[in-house]
Amino acid sequence: MFDAMLQRFVHMFEIVAAEGHGSLWMVLFIGFVFGAIIQWSRVDKFEKIAGFAMLEDMTVPKMLFFAIGFASIFLYFLIEIGMAHYHVKPVMLGGLVIGAVLFGIAMAIFGKCPGTGPISVAEGRIDVLVGAIGGIFGGLFFTWAYPWLEPIMGPDYGELTLPQFFEGQEHLVVLVYGLALIAVAFALPNIEYLDPEDHEEKVEI
Amino acid sequence: MARKISWFTGGLMMGVLILFTFSIWGADRPIGASTYVPYFAGLIFGLDPEQYAYMKQIEKAGAWEGVMLLGAFFGGLFMSVFVTKTFRFSVLPTLWKERKNRSVASRLFWSFVSGFLMIVGARLAGGCTSGHFLSGASQIAVSGLIFGGIVMVTLVVTGRLFYNRKGAQDV
Repeated sequence: MFDAMLQRFVHMFEIVAAEGHGSLWMVLFIGFVFGAIIQWSRVDKFEKIAGFAMLEDMTVPKMLFFAIGFASIFLYFLIEIGMAHYHVKPVMLGGLVIGAVLFGIAMAIFGKCPGTGPISVAEGRIDVLVGAIGGIFGGLFFTWAYPWLEPIMGPDYGELTLPQFFEGQEHLVVLVYGLALIAVAFALPNIEYLDPEDHEEKVEI
Repeated sequence: MARKISWFTGGLMMGVLILFTFSIWGADRPIGASTYVPYFAGLIFGLDPEQYAYMKQIEKAGAWEGVMLLGAFFGGLFMSVFVTKTFRFSVLPTLWKERKNRSVASRLFWSFVSGFLMIVGARLAGGCTSGHFLSGASQIAVSGLIFGGIVMVTLVVTGRLFYNRKGAQDV
């Protein structure tokens, strides 16, 4: 059984190497930087994510809004000059609404999300490792139940983006959206829960 | 090196990473981080992609994210040991002790349950904080905006209902 698992683990690298979405080293590098940024800004911590749910810490929404606002303006530009492409997820309304509700509840209790989880485990959080095992069982359940869950995930409204609704005004919409998110990032109160067990200190911009 | 960076520096770096990953110089695809979980479940439990439609559907995205999150694990490990110096084995988060309880069993129980629900939720919605928020909302995708809006509201409502009021207990 272990042999089969190892074989499929190796196969994972073969799939990525053959796929053409960056070389194996490139994907590992992107991941490494992703993990490093998140760990360095400490947003993988329970106190940052569940702290947002309890309104004790605003680092996560400030960082998210700023990153998205900044990226949205330049991404649109990159796409216009052909250096990037759209990868828009469809609006599958049923799945989106039910999934988002479950996700929000789980995020408040767990104090992690699927991306920050492994980074948190890497800094020694045993509770997150247990949560990750729960997640594996969640993935197993979903895979098994998919034929029954699929019908409630629709209806599919297609791969919509907001600028599509404003024909001829796309540039303006993107600019206003991006700047508005950046403004929100600055406007949210800069409150932070400083964890004494991590000897955490406040960092100014 | 600074032991911690601000939301601004972190957000700027994350924005640049999103752009790089999207671009043809990077991976020409968005960052995502929840498909790898059912993918790993398939690896561990030996689920045959020919037998499970969902396994087959997520094989490529799952593998990409699996490798990316492997990198993220080492990125986190490197920073926690050498830069932020926050590596330590722990079970109870400080704020959990302050606002919920001091029971290890309770924290582990809720971690398992919320971990389970989180992946079922993310896969129903077709993405998570990375795929829908970071990548989706950067493309101003309607799906990402709906997901982001609902998650933020349920997150804060749950935070209010699940935990004790601030200063309500000190056991």
